[in-house]
Amino acid sequence: MSENWVLKEDEAVELLALLITSARIQMEEPAHYAPMRLLTATERLSGLILERASEKSREFLAENMARIPDTHMRMSDPESYAAALDERCRAVAACLLRHSALREGEA
Amino acid sequence: MSEAALRNIRTRRVTREMTAEPVERAQIETILEAARWAPSGGNLRPNRFIVIEDAETRRLIRLVSPGMFQEAPVLILICIDWEVAAEHHLPPSDRALLIDVGTAAQTMMLAAHALGLASGPVTSYSKEAVKLILNLPVSYSPEMFICIGHKAETAQRGMRAWKKISWRDLTHWERFQ
Repeated sequence: MSENWVLKEDEAVELLALLITSARIQMEEPAHYAPMRLLTATERLSGLILERASEKSREFLAENMARIPDTHMRMSDPESYAAALDERCRAVAACLLRHSALREGEA
Repeated sequence: MSEAALRNIRTRRVTREMTAEPVERAQIETILEAARWAPSGGNLRPNRFIVIEDAETRRLIRLVSPGMFQEAPVLILICIDWEVAAEHHLPPSDRALLIDVGTAAQTMMLAAHALGLASGPVTSYSKEAVKLILNLPVSYSPEMFICIGHKAETAQRGMRAWKKISWRDLTHWERFQ
């Protein structure tokens, strides 16, 4: 477990604004916009914490979260979109393991 | 008809990445003047335009606008003034009110493109948050932002069409059989 502070208060409030306004406008938007908003929030959070993240996380963030798949890809190539998100999910799981008392291979 | 006008219509694209380069005041006024000539139901002109250049105000608006990917140097907010609508006995359900927003928006974007500027519409924002940030009069509802600026070199292509279409795919001649 790392106890680094990686987010400033203003940054956290800005992210909160994105999440709560996304939830509200989703009521008038197509359903497929919902994951796009989540991915936007993911990308923004990643960008905010990258600089102050520990070495263990920084590599993961830089390699996997700098340019995450968007809904253009979902529309034009759903298989590649799913594969790209699966790849990020595996990467985040590996990052969680690096932060955990467990180690890869012990899970 | 002017080929230049038709080319302007064909080549305009929505831009989601812009540079910080400012837009000249005269160019903004030209865009607003063009919008003044957009078609309006009954020529009643229930729209009002709010121009936002202040950096901190734009930053706050972006924070409550999940659909605003651009960091545009100029935002033009198209509002409906419901006092004007009421004066002309237009009920809230009158579709002409929103059609007017659309004609003003398209006219602004075409004018921006004719001036060599990039533009993009945004409707994904919290109306309540925008009202509060801009301290809008109670009779104004914020209907659509038009982002105006200069296209970034890194800008990706606009959203692709779901399938390739021509005007023929969109058109039917005369009566249906």
